[in-house]
Amino acid sequence: MSRRKFLETGSAALIGLSIKGDRFIAGGFVNESFQLGHKLRDHGSFVAVTKVEKHSVVIVGGGIAGLSAAWRLHKRGFKDFVLLEMNDQPGGNSRWGENEITAYPWAAHYVPVPGPKATYVRELFEELGVLKDGVWEERFLCFTPQERLFLYGRWQDGIEPAIGLTDKDRDQFRRLEELIHNFRASGAFTIPMERGLLPSTADLDRSSFTDWLSQQGMDSRILNWYMNYCCRDDYGALAVDTSAWAGVHYFASREPEDKGPLTWPEGNGWIVKRLLERMGTYVRSGQMVHRIAERGKSFSICSGETEHRAECVIFAAPTFLAPYIIEGMAPLHDFEYSPWLTANLTLDRLPASYGTDLTWDNVVMDSPTLGYVDAMHQTLRSHVERTVWTFYWALSEGTPSANRALLLQKDWNYWKEAILHDLERVHPDIRQCVSRIDLMSFGHAMARPKPGAIFSAERRKLAQLNGRLLFANSDLSGFSIFEEAQYRGVRAAETALHLVGRA
Amino acid sequence: MGILLFISVLLIAACGLIYELIAGTLASYLLGDSVLQFSTIIGCYLFAMGIGSALSRYIHRGLAYRFVWIELLLGVIGGFSSALLFLAFAYSQGFQIIMYALVVVIGMLVGLEIPILMRIVRERYHFRDVVAHVLTFDYLGALGASLLFPILLVPYFGLVRSAMLFGLINVAVALWSTFLFSKQLPSTRALRVLCVLVICGLAVGLAQAKRITAAAEDNIYADEIIFARDTRYQHIVLTRFKDDIRLFLNSHLQFSSRDEYRYHEALIHPALAAIPTPRRVLVLGGGDGLAVREILKYPQVESVTLVDLDPEMTHLFSTHPMLTGLNQKSFQSPRVHIINADAFPWVDSSTDSFDFIVIDFPDPTNYSLGKLYTTAFYKAAARHLSVQGLMVVQSTSPMFARDSYWCIVETLKQANLKTYPYHVYVPSFGEWGFVIASGHEYQPPTLLPAGLRFVSVDGLPSMFQFPPDMSPMTMPPNRLNDQVLVRAYDQDWKDISH
Repeated sequence: MSRRKFLETGSAALIGLSIKGDRFIAGGFVNESFQLGHKLRDHGSFVAVTKVEKHSVVIVGGGIAGLSAAWRLHKRGFKDFVLLEMNDQPGGNSRWGENEITAYPWAAHYVPVPGPKATYVRELFEELGVLKDGVWEERFLCFTPQERLFLYGRWQDGIEPAIGLTDKDRDQFRRLEELIHNFRASGAFTIPMERGLLPSTADLDRSSFTDWLSQQGMDSRILNWYMNYCCRDDYGALAVDTSAWAGVHYFASREPEDKGPLTWPEGNGWIVKRLLERMGTYVRSGQMVHRIAERGKSFSICSGETEHRAECVIFAAPTFLAPYIIEGMAPLHDFEYSPWLTANLTLDRLPASYGTDLTWDNVVMDSPTLGYVDAMHQTLRSHVERTVWTFYWALSEGTPSANRALLLQKDWNYWKEAILHDLERVHPDIRQCVSRIDLMSFGHAMARPKPGAIFSAERRKLAQLNGRLLFANSDLSGFSIFEEAQYRGVRAAETALHLVGRA
Repeated sequence: MGILLFISVLLIAACGLIYELIAGTLASYLLGDSVLQFSTIIGCYLFAMGIGSALSRYIHRGLAYRFVWIELLLGVIGGFSSALLFLAFAYSQGFQIIMYALVVVIGMLVGLEIPILMRIVRERYHFRDVVAHVLTFDYLGALGASLLFPILLVPYFGLVRSAMLFGLINVAVALWSTFLFSKQLPSTRALRVLCVLVICGLAVGLAQAKRITAAAEDNIYADEIIFARDTRYQHIVLTRFKDDIRLFLNSHLQFSSRDEYRYHEALIHPALAAIPTPRRVLVLGGGDGLAVREILKYPQVESVTLVDLDPEMTHLFSTHPMLTGLNQKSFQSPRVHIINADAFPWVDSSTDSFDFIVIDFPDPTNYSLGKLYTTAFYKAAARHLSVQGLMVVQSTSPMFARDSYWCIVETLKQANLKTYPYHVYVPSFGEWGFVIASGHEYQPPTLLPAGLRFVSVDGLPSMFQFPPDMSPMTMPPNRLNDQVLVRAYDQDWKDISH
């Protein structure tokens, strides 16, 4: 027997031992809404109008911005309005799903503990019992253990890399922290962003976050991985495609010592559920608005067979849709969006992990994906056997349009395999644990704050709330987060009440 | 012919290394300090190999015959080494002496193998080739063994069976050698019969390996295991030594029947006897029925609701004669209602009110159990207290886990409860702590049920006094989103075990 033959036989024997029968994995894509969107884009034909309804205010879009506008109108005792949502399920990026194990999010899954400037968020949370007498309800704060990161073959506590750092890495993390501390102290980086925006920070918006980091002499590979991860996580974009202003805002807008974030099994779907309990009667889902036209002192809003007439329109749907819907609106240039794929994996048992045990948010270093969140994390139970993991993948390498094309082209099997391959790196037995993988694709998931987006004249003009057509989507802040969506929704509602003489 | 010969070199090298690794691993398992164990075992083994090599010069004739015998001996001694060591640890005092003796014997035999084999084959090849080939395959065998051992053998076969498997390989080489070297052997028949007999012996051993480990494990638990079961939720082990029955859950001691009365009397009576008219009682945890036994000493108590996660646990303590003897058939009382549920969701959804709530969970060793020691949990539990109601919490040791104990007290305070910490001595546990918590003032009772063996009215005041080495520590409360208790508990026990 030659040595080569010996080695071949030996390794074949070892590989043979590791092969086990793969389980059947069920699932599919759960959303088809892009078809509706494409019909708009391609100027498809819509059914003729057969009935007319009159309202003072019509809200277009039932994501957090639209629902927050409705919440404010309802809270002020105003009843003459309706909210039109394209999808069958309202919630936008805060939609959720539910199976026999648990509820789980389809996208946004937490809200950071709001700071003092986020007054509307605090007001909402007081109403929902999340904030009581200045104390955050313990059950809604993310339980221990919160986060872990997989690197160098094992899981460590926390997402910020802590093991294997050189003195140089540590020094750069420390210097960045100092810079962020100063930015935070400047008061220019707030949530909502409008409340702090200073012209003196416009320079920062001109360069990419990567360029800015390198200007500061931050060349640590670990630090740059972490900065990239943060940009992908909040903006769906690489640091090189992100405005340095937005990169700084991610860190400087929040206090570091807050114990949080606030989270629920169904993610921000929990908030949507509570809002729908209050004003679900105003919400009409499965109603795509395909035309908005100004007719003298009122607007005509067409969805399906119904024409709604309103004195005032709150356009809370993603702003990029507006030129396709609003008659006479010029095309937009400064709005870019990141495509995302999310997956919900049903697990019949937990796979093995080496290092820290399963946490709420689980991130893998140098993976193109963002890792996964455990939907059973907020359970009060001490014993958990089955769970659902929500797997996040911001398609940030390459251009958004190429990635949108990829989302449309590739079938469920392709993405299922891609996801399992990614997870197999950290959980070799994952295929033995998963029984179902459902997918949701988002062609335009989040506004992408590319360089120049924050100080864009186009964005700032549309965000102004003058006239009777009020734009309210979070993309008018340059980036999509819950607090911005809610702020813009509430502000648009306040303005609408003023316009119809109810303020 | 040549290649077959060198494969036997590879195999015997692998066998030798496996025996050495098994001895090192076993010693690390059983004695701890793996650096010391592996260093001394490798040292002894290599030294013994040197002795073997040195002795090989005194063997002048019958090289092939002696080689077959060495392989046979190695197969028997090496093959049974692991089983022998397990049993030696369990049943004898001289484990280390036996272990090093075994290592030395095996090392000497392995040291003899290669020099003798090289001399057997030296006529057939150039000396240069003999050395090169033999040593190459020797090292290759070592590599194979060192990879197989952690990846395949330990996880899938275990130490006892791995040793026997490689013993079989040694004997197979012996049998094979009777064919390879038939010309150099006087008679092969007797040798072959012997080989087959040893193979049979090892095969029987391989089949019985589980019983050998079970016999050894019995003794590692110190006492006889009378019950062991993996339920969906935990690993339950009951042991008995004379009249002492002990319950272990996931290897943590829950009680010893010799002194459990101290624990359970102290858990129940200081609070329950102080409640004017206790009618309804809730027990969370306590699936052994021993706390319920104490509660049933109060005729005013009309109903006891016991919530325990594991149905196999409550079933065991409802039916096993030895255990129903301990809890005096408390689970068979018509006053007792058993609910098998996860405690936190149950407490959250129930609307019943109770005069006395007993919280008797395992210590907060992980974040899952830690949820049952949080402000959120205590607030939810306190909502079930009646106007006269009291709650008592088993709170780990104020002596060994002082930070943890006072963290639990602080957590109860932050749940807006008044707290009354106390402690007792339970020999099998050491100093143990409890906390009475309530929305109102607590006064120790002046009357106790008859027939108690430990708690007395006179002794009560001293239980509420903490000497300086257990006195209060300033600790933050344990919250769902910041489980300081689990980290403190981990640290407390690390501090005393090192």
